[in-house]
Amino acid sequence: MKRKIELYGRLRDAGHGSTVYLDLPKAVTARQALSALKAVFGSKGSLLQGCALAGSNEILTPSDRLPEGRLAILPPVCGG
Amino acid sequence: MRRLTRVTPSRLDAALLSRAVSSPRHGAVASFIGVVRAVHAGRRVKAVSYDCFVPLAEKELARIAARTEKRWPVRVAAMHRTGRLKVGEASVAIAAGAMHRAEAYAACRFVIEEIKRRLPVWKKEHYSSGDGRWLSGCALRGGHR
Repeated sequence: MKRKIELYGRLRDAGHGSTVYLDLPKAVTARQALSALKAVFGSKGSLLQGCALAGSNEILTPSDRLPEGRLAILPPVCGG
Repeated sequence: MRRLTRVTPSRLDAALLSRAVSSPRHGAVASFIGVVRAVHAGRRVKAVSYDCFVPLAEKELARIAARTEKRWPVRVAAMHRTGRLKVGEASVAIAAGAMHRAEAYAACRFVIEEIKRRLPVWKKEHYSSGDGRWLSGCALRGGHR
């Protein structure tokens, strides 16, 4: 199934705009989704270093299953 | 009374936050306002864009306020701005009301440090030379806290 992943911060300048779509099995972990995302980023995969996948409620651990709803890949944060 | 925490594209109103944490029982209201500055690392800054994953940021800001109120006998309010801000505009505003100043100061400090560590917000500086750069930050950790 296709899942939309929102990109933020420095990832918006990686040439994919603000979203990428991944073709993923229905029950997939954050670790597996991140691997698929690295493949999409190709030579710019190093931009994903230190990034975390998140749903609307929580940051996901690598072993968490992807939740329903919005998904985002979040670079290291620097609010304030 | 409902706690005031918000991520917003609108101008921040520090007085609103101070009012939200005021109480006849409080002898102290401390506030912190983060402002876009004109120079960073020797470069002249024209503006800063704040990018944000809003649904998670709203929840995380509420969690930070709740944790702060659990740790100290305070009432906390906090807002973070999104979008492109000019030099001098407030990017973050926090207020803490308490019986005494020590807890109010400590709570304010705690909230801004937690925001910097946990809030899904990113800033891109725009320089007077015409270029720009995303600032490096703090990696988020997964898992429930």
